[in-house]
Amino acid sequence: MLAFEHVHFEYPETPPIIPDLSFTIGDGDFVALIGSNGAGKSTVSRLANGLLLPTSGKVLLDGADTRTTRTSAIARKVGFLFQNPDRQICQNTVREELAFGLKVQGVPEEEVKARTEEALRDFSLDGDWFPFTRSRGERQRIALASVLICRPKMVILDEPTTGLDYKECIAIMDYITRLNRETGLTVLMVSHDMELVQQYAKRVLVLTNGQLQGDGPVTEIMKDLSILEKAHVRPAQIPALALRFGDRFKDVYTVDEMAAALKAAAKKGGAPA
Amino acid sequence: MNLLQYQPGESFLHKLNPVTKLLAVFLYCVACIISDSIFVELGLIFLMLIICFFAGLGKRALSLTKNLLILGGMMFILQLLFVRTGTPLLKIGSLCIFTTGGVFSALLLSCRIIATMLPMMLLFAITQMTDLCGAMVKRLHIPYRYAFIVTTAFRFVPLFTSEFHDIEDAQKARGVEYDTKNIFKKIGLVVPLVVPLLMSSLKKVDAGAMSAEVRGFNLRTVRSGYRDYPFAAGDGVCIALTVVLIIISALL
Amino acid sequence: MIQFEDFSFRYKSSEAFALQGISMTIENGAFVGIIGNSGAGKSTLTYTLSGIIPHHFDGDFYGSVKVNGLDTVEVKPEKLAQFVGEVFQDIDSQMVSSIVEDEILFGMENFGVPHDEIGRRLDSVLDMLGIRDLKDRQISSLSGGQKQKVAIAAILAMDPEIIVLDEPTGELDPASSIMIFDILRRLNREFGKTVIVVEQKIMLLCEYVDRLLVMDAGKIVFDGRSEEIVQQVPLFKNLGINVPRVVELGQQLTAAGLYHGAIPLDLDQAEKMVKEVLADAGV
Repeated sequence: MLAFEHVHFEYPETPPIIPDLSFTIGDGDFVALIGSNGAGKSTVSRLANGLLLPTSGKVLLDGADTRTTRTSAIARKVGFLFQNPDRQICQNTVREELAFGLKVQGVPEEEVKARTEEALRDFSLDGDWFPFTRSRGERQRIALASVLICRPKMVILDEPTTGLDYKECIAIMDYITRLNRETGLTVLMVSHDMELVQQYAKRVLVLTNGQLQGDGPVTEIMKDLSILEKAHVRPAQIPALALRFGDRFKDVYTVDEMAAALKAAAKKGGAPA
Repeated sequence: MNLLQYQPGESFLHKLNPVTKLLAVFLYCVACIISDSIFVELGLIFLMLIICFFAGLGKRALSLTKNLLILGGMMFILQLLFVRTGTPLLKIGSLCIFTTGGVFSALLLSCRIIATMLPMMLLFAITQMTDLCGAMVKRLHIPYRYAFIVTTAFRFVPLFTSEFHDIEDAQKARGVEYDTKNIFKKIGLVVPLVVPLLMSSLKKVDAGAMSAEVRGFNLRTVRSGYRDYPFAAGDGVCIALTVVLIIISALL
Repeated sequence: MIQFEDFSFRYKSSEAFALQGISMTIENGAFVGIIGNSGAGKSTLTYTLSGIIPHHFDGDFYGSVKVNGLDTVEVKPEKLAQFVGEVFQDIDSQMVSSIVEDEILFGMENFGVPHDEIGRRLDSVLDMLGIRDLKDRQISSLSGGQKQKVAIAAILAMDPEIIVLDEPTGELDPASSIMIFDILRRLNREFGKTVIVVEQKIMLLCEYVDRLLVMDAGKIVFDGRSEEIVQQVPLFKNLGINVPRVVELGQQLTAAGLYHGAIPLDLDQAEKMVKEVLADAGV
């Protein structure tokens, strides 16, 4: 469980980035953190894994204060995928890169080998690749694999799909969703792509100027245009379309649901198909 | 890094021609170096602080002086232990620790260091690197290529610093223990920092070169700079005053 | 005008062709969008336009690429820059100065633009992009959207007829992305620039560009007006390229026989479609 308790954060001699923020994320949740550039999303995600420490207030991970826990201990529990994979890739081959995270955490040699081979299969990566010259999407996949191979309880994704094409983006998100469903991996995803958020997240936190503007199930936030507008994000198309018809499409969020609703209406109205 | 950062302003110091600033700093340093009097050195430090105060740079100059005092202190101790002229002042048994000559030359040296470093570092506070290079190309006809390399190097320092911090964060986040107390372990952990930094630097430099190339870098001539950097009366006055300083410090 | 004639290119270090058998013409004044998966050859195509290929990257070059009748193999990139300006993908690395004004001056100074003319153009690009207030700012202190505007201004200052941009909104939030595309539209419509933009966000492309190129594995697999993508949904799905949700909806309703009109590209058109379907159903 991740808990922010009255977290205040500022750099010396500048206005606070996070004035006073409180929320909790339960185990197994899939949370999207949305907001425009400069709203404080990156700061919140770095506070969540102890890379930044609150100026006042507390960040608790399973009850342990991030101020008194070593970052290397937090790293075992919380994986972090950065926007730019090039900041973490540091080994000569993909195989070594995947093993690196496990080795620094002191996992026994045999297990490192087994888990590396497994991850290579899961992410369809070639262990012999020279990672630095692969495409952006492949590098992002290598970075994600080397984060998830450590089997964290929670993973923070900082705009994970930046620079990826749609296909790569779906591949990565589908994999994370599967882990979320099957192993109860907690996910905190920073994003401003509402189509992506709508498709994958269960709950949405809306951040503007370091303050929580909204917090609720994705279905609720998706149809709250005033909150989305304050956060300067563009609403997902189908929920926005549904809203234009008042209550008629109350439970409609996806293309399939909208099509089904219209087909049902046509049937009921007895119109010729 | 903060110590070398440009501080925007409209003071008489800021408005001088960059070439004048460079020359004046050089002459000021000459005055500091040729003087053998501790009082002149102290006077020159004091004078510099007063000038800065009137130019609105008082705070910056004081914090610089504070930092230079540490350097001066270190030089003082070294000099004290190595110079053996004059009469012994402190003896332990037959071993002489320091002498009158040592105290005198150590004081002089550390004052001189502070007096020369102060104006040099202040040059960065009142001059944009691009202006300095631009003026040197236009007025002193230094080849543009060299000036560009110098400005680029200065521009890259903060970029690489922030990149380095981001890489460190990324490695910390995956459990690399930079908070370990074990020195040998720490040295081994340099690889995950240096390799990504090297890779990103190579990419940045190549992208920068490409961008400069398509924007006609190779066509540049001395005359093509947009800004003119003309000399004004103030520049002459400034240089004249520093020359007077040299004469005074040579005589005293 | 840009003409590709059976153009193929293979990077020196690579076995496969990055671009293969490209033949097309881009007329002056066009607003062209390019979409495709990573590795499809989009960036390579932009490098070809600005002469970086073959002058900066070595490789095997077949066929020909002509910009305003000049063969890019024979003309140096700096000569080509009078006609084509490129804004590269990585915003930060393409900056050559630390201050906004210097960044914009750089190209003009290099090309030896006369002093008065430099002042005039500087003013005009600052206004064109609405960044006059940023003139004296340190580039490192700007937001992503502001940096992108500065990069575009620096290219525009050299007054090229054609401006090429490689994923200019890649790291921007939706509001800044729209702002950049609004600027591109103005450059195209008011100032008559030919704009060629690589972009992953299909919805922006549908809204703004006139002509869309879809690339896959070094080839152009679709070349047409952006409205035509509604007929190409299966192709897009096949390639794994996102289509706007309303287009998908339109497709499904048409397939179910509920809707017979034009497939919608944006929300307003979709609203009209849903109203029609509901009216047909007698609701």
